[in-house]
Formats: sequence, C-alpha cells, structure tokens
Amino acid sequence: MMDQELDRTLVSIFNEMEKVDYQQKSPRRLRVDVAPEALPGLLELLKGKASYVHLSAISCVDWIEEEEFELVYHVWSYEVNSLVSAHTRIPREGACYLSVYDLYKPAGFFERDIYEMYGVYFEGSPHMEKFILTEWNGPPPMLKDFDAEAYVQDTFNWQDYQPDWLKDLEEAGGGVEIRPEDVRR
Amino acid sequence: MSDLKQIPVVAKETGKERTNPLANVFDELIRFAQARSMFMLHYCTGCGAIELPPAMTSRFDMERLGIQPMVTPRQADILLITGYVSIKTLKRIILTYEQMPSPKYVIGICSCTVNGGMYWQSYATAKKLNEYLPVDLYIAGCMPRPEAVIEGLRLLMDNIKSGKSEPWKDYYQRYDYYLGNQQHLFGDDWQTPTDIIGEAEHFGLMGPETEGEHTRLLQQHQQPLEPHKMRLK
Ligand code: SF4
Repeated sequence: MMDQELDRTLVSIFNEMEKVDYQQKSPRRLRVDVAPEALPGLLELLKGKASYVHLSAISCVDWIEEEEFELVYHVWSYEVNSLVSAHTRIPREGACYLSVYDLYKPAGFFERDIYEMYGVYFEGSPHMEKFILTEWNGPPPMLKDFDAEAYVQDTFNWQDYQPDWLKDLEEAGGGVEIRPEDVRR
Repeated sequence: MSDLKQIPVVAKETGKERTNPLANVFDELIRFAQARSMFMLHYCTGCGAIELPPAMTSRFDMERLGIQPMVTPRQADILLITGYVSIKTLKRIILTYEQMPSPKYVIGICSCTVNGGMYWQSYATAKKLNEYLPVDLYIAGCMPRPEAVIEGLRLLMDNIKSGKSEPWKDYYQRYDYYLGNQQHLFGDDWQTPTDIIGEAEHFGLMGPETEGEHTRLLQQHQQPLEPHKMRLK
C-alpha cells in the first residue's frame, strides 16, 4: 500500500533518473513529470521493477499557446494498487514521438487513436493508419485549431425554422423562444 | 422538403387508360391493406433506439397496428432512423434505403435527425436527414417516448391510407438533388450498387430532375457492377 510513504521501489526508481519531478496527488495517485527522452526509460523501470504492468490509457492534450502536446501515460499496478500518470511534453510542430508498443502492447491502440485525433506520429507503432475516422479527410479533429463549428457551418445546411405549422402556433401566442440561428454564430 | 405536388412528373405514355370503374376502389383497398401490414427494418443508429424495444414489445405493442420488425432491408417497408446519424452511418443508411423495395417510408426519430440535435456542432454527424433521403415524417424529442413513436407511426398509416405518403417517389424524381448532397459529403467518387436511374425508368418515375450534373458525374466514374462468381469447393 502506498499511504503516507511513497513506495520504496518507486523512490529508488525516481532517484535513478534525472529530470523526474513527482507529486503525490492522492494516496493512490502519483503524478510524474518527465522529459520526453526519459519517459520510455521510466516506463520500463516502472514495469520491470515496480510491477506497473497495466497501461490503462495514453491521453493527449493540445496546449496550443505553448505550442506543445502533452502526452500522459497512465500505468496501474495491481500489487501496489496505485496509478502513476507520467506526463511529458513534446513540441507541437511536426509532432512525433517514440512508441511504447514493445513495452505495453495496448499502446498500439492508444497511439493509433492519438495519431488520428491529434496527428502525433509514433515511431515504431505497428498501425499508424486510420482507425475510426476511416472516411474523414480533414485535419485531425481534436486539434484546438480545428474549428468544428466553422466546418459544420460550411458543410451542412440547417432545417427551415419557419414552417407553416409554426405560424398557427405563433398566432396563438406560442412559438420558438430561442431560434437556433441566434444560438449559432 | 419541397412539396411533392409541385414537381411535374413526366409520365410515360403507356396507352393504357384506366377504364375500369373499380380501379380506384381497388387502389383504396390496396392502400388500406398496405397501411395495416408494415415491416420495419431493424436498423438503429443512435441512442433513440432504446425506446423501440418497449414500443415493439408487450408494453406498447406495435404489432397491434400491424407493424413488425424485419431483419433485412429487402423485405422491409419502413426505415426508422433512430437518432444521430454519423457520416459513416449515413452511407450505410443510403445503401440500405436503396435496397428496400418501393413503396418505402423513412421516419426520422429524435431531434438529431431533424437538425443534428445536441450534436449540431459536430463535424461527424449529418444534420438534415431529408437532404440525403426523402423523409416521410420526423418525430422530434430527445428521445421521443414510445407513445410518440406510435403516434408517428399512426400518422404514417393514415398518410398511406389516404395516399399522401409518397416521398419515396421523390427520390426517383429528384435523384440528382439527393445525389448531389451525398456527393458533397462523401466525395465525388461516391457510388452505390443500386441503379436508381434504371429503377426510375422501370417504374415510370423519371422526373425532370432525375438526371443532372451530379448523375453525369456519377456516370463518369461509375464502375459496372459484376455478379459474384459462385464457386463450390
Ligand atoms: S435526439 Fe437525443 S436521444 Fe435522440 S439520438 Fe440525439 S441525443 Fe440521442
């Protein structure tokens, strides 16, 4: 259990590495900030030495103002019963990072998803191709600079909100209170 | 949707005038029978589908109206679109719709089919279903209760009985319009295995807008369909 004191193995791992910054967020959650070049090594130590065998997700955050992507690797240990979230930041321009597929097999799935949604390429990942959006040719849609609303406005038409039956309602004092046109830009 | 009656139909001169005084009576009888025996395709797109099991089964019992679920499009009359339609799903819906035999009816259940609903700013969902398919009626709500679904189906039955429910003809008569909208979303090389223009000719439903620039575009790249070879091992 990881209550008051950090697990000793973990501390020894963190001491082994440079450029690691860790914070205990709650009894079972640990946030580690690590430089991109040190992250695969950290994961390897976590898996090999500290039983963090389950990569439950990789998430990606687009920090558009800082021109960086943040990748978060969530690894879980069934022995220590705790979650380590390893955060790292990579430059946004031509984003490319190393795959951890050889360490954690599920990474192939998460990396493919991130590549599709954010355009971050993972070197060494087995399937860097389309995944869910097989019929989408636009930019990666989760990027902050992809304006979904503008895309929708150019691509689709809206239903007519002046139908005949509405006129009867309006005469009787009813009708649409807030028109969709007023909500949309 | 534009009013159907305003669209001129180029009827083929068959030379066969209807002389039998009972023809209209038969028509009415047939429409009555049609309205009381409908098969609804089991094809659910969004979360609104969750209201269908109670609508179909003993609680609200759609079968007392003569409506039964059916598993294949080739044997179904009604296509219920039960919720948001993503662009990928829309392709499948169109393929399914084109396979259904006429007369066929489309009902859009849920606000999402009307106007995108709560997904109105999503890049991945289609907004106005009746741009891509002729929709008979919409049942708005997020999600509509089974009572509303049944109310909508009753309205459809009434429309069929009185011969008003004919948007499926619109698909043949204005195929160019629908195809144009489909191409706008799916790209210029969009092609379905069904030959709509051929069917329109066959049924005598060619309209002035059946063919146009979009169907010409389709014909430029259309690959002829070939039957699958049957092979026994
Ligand atoms: S209208 Fe509501 S219930 Fe229906 S598909 Fe949309 S979100 Fe789901």
